[in-house]
Amino acid sequence: MLECKEVTKKYGRKTAVDHVSLNLEPGRVYAMLGPNGSGKTTLMKMVVGLVKPTSGEILYNGQPVGVESRRDIAYMSTEPYFYSWMTVKDVGKYYQDFFEDFSMERYERILNQMDLTMDLKSKTLSSGMMAKLKIAVTMARRAKIYLLDEPLNGIDLLARDEIVRCVLDVIAPDVTLMVSSHLVDELEKVADVAVFMKESHLVMACGIEQMREEKGKSVVDMYREIYGHGGIEQ
Amino acid sequence: MIKLMKYEFRKNLFSKIILLILTAVGEAAYLAGVFLKWEDGFGIGMIVLSLCSIFGIMYMGMEGLITFHRDLNTKQSYMLFLTPHSSYQILGAKVVENGLTIFLTGIFYALLGLLDFTVAVLYIGGVEQLLSIIKDIGAEFSINMNVRFEEILLVILALLAGWIMTLAMGYLAIVLCATVLAGKRLSGLISFVIFLVLNWCVNLAFNHLPILDVDSLLIRNWATIGCAFAVSLVLYLITGWIMERKLSV
Repeated sequence: MLECKEVTKKYGRKTAVDHVSLNLEPGRVYAMLGPNGSGKTTLMKMVVGLVKPTSGEILYNGQPVGVESRRDIAYMSTEPYFYSWMTVKDVGKYYQDFFEDFSMERYERILNQMDLTMDLKSKTLSSGMMAKLKIAVTMARRAKIYLLDEPLNGIDLLARDEIVRCVLDVIAPDVTLMVSSHLVDELEKVADVAVFMKESHLVMACGIEQMREEKGKSVVDMYREIYGHGGIEQ
Repeated sequence: MIKLMKYEFRKNLFSKIILLILTAVGEAAYLAGVFLKWEDGFGIGMIVLSLCSIFGIMYMGMEGLITFHRDLNTKQSYMLFLTPHSSYQILGAKVVENGLTIFLTGIFYALLGLLDFTVAVLYIGGVEQLLSIIKDIGAEFSINMNVRFEEILLVILALLAGWIMTLAMGYLAIVLCATVLAGKRLSGLISFVIFLVLNWCVNLAFNHLPILDVDSLLIRNWATIGCAFAVSLVLYLITGWIMERKLSV
């Protein structure tokens, strides 16, 4: 469905993503793991077409990602990105104008669950409320692939459950979900595949169940092994 | 693309409203001058309306560039580049909206001027008398008023086309700064120098084009308008091409 082939992104002398090859299959939840600066966000941005790879290619259903793939891929950035003049309602209208798979009804329902009202100005939202708005507008789409970059950042414990429920609600056999987070144990509960990134390289992409059965390790154990002191070298 | 243009229009709505308010103030002073035979008001109104039209049109273009720069260099860029549109469409929406705004603003002020002229003729009591008042005011500010209306209109159109061409160079410079020069030292300065050099080259070419050197004002101005649009189109295609291949936001 989505194929990254030897994808590299360089910013001047710095390499953000280095020869990463990865396939994303439908019906699976991917946990994108790694410390800050490991290349998770850059890889996600390349998949959605916001960042152009320096080399390599990313294919969606056999075609290079671009205008067509953006119809099917929903991306939630970790940073706020809405126009400052927009209200919560304007954000919904904007998505409705540009994405055929966006449902205003679903958007309103998610907003209600998250205690957000339509008249709030996006520039006045706290970081937690902004995170909720980003999730609401992204999950109100019926996309084929969801890429969520740190969706639980700045969210309190109670709201976190709400967001996790909302995210898991889109899981279907034809849908791919990729979530990056530092909350490894939270992700382990819901993900099928763990993708470990370190220093711009892909260290491992492995089924979580398989990891438990074959290596007798949880994702948290593996995370410690890879990123802890004396972890796997790149 | 219409939807993209709608949001481009919305982004700069505030300054459009400010310009309209200033224009309304100038218009009120002008009409008060006409109806109350208040010559100072008439003069102030004319000056305010003239300044609004000239600087308003210039600012509309500049603001288009500022918005484009912000759209490429802040996270707001995701709002545009996450949508299923190509760089050509995104840039096209900006250029067309900005160009239309400039042209419509120009036409709005031309029509307003014509309307004000007609109102003044009706109330002051004749074209001759009105022209003499305008000439008196013009003489005070050392402005030569002996030009025909059609000529003024054509020159205005040529100026607008030239302004849009300059803005197209600005769009290219901004994209160069955000793509091939991204992360390099003095990228902003280098792209500004590129903008100046490009401007200078195009002006040099315009000065040497035989079609732009004819005596007929009509042919010269229409040729200027045509050439300006052709250059703008080429610049748009180059800018879109670079964005499509190189732009990372």
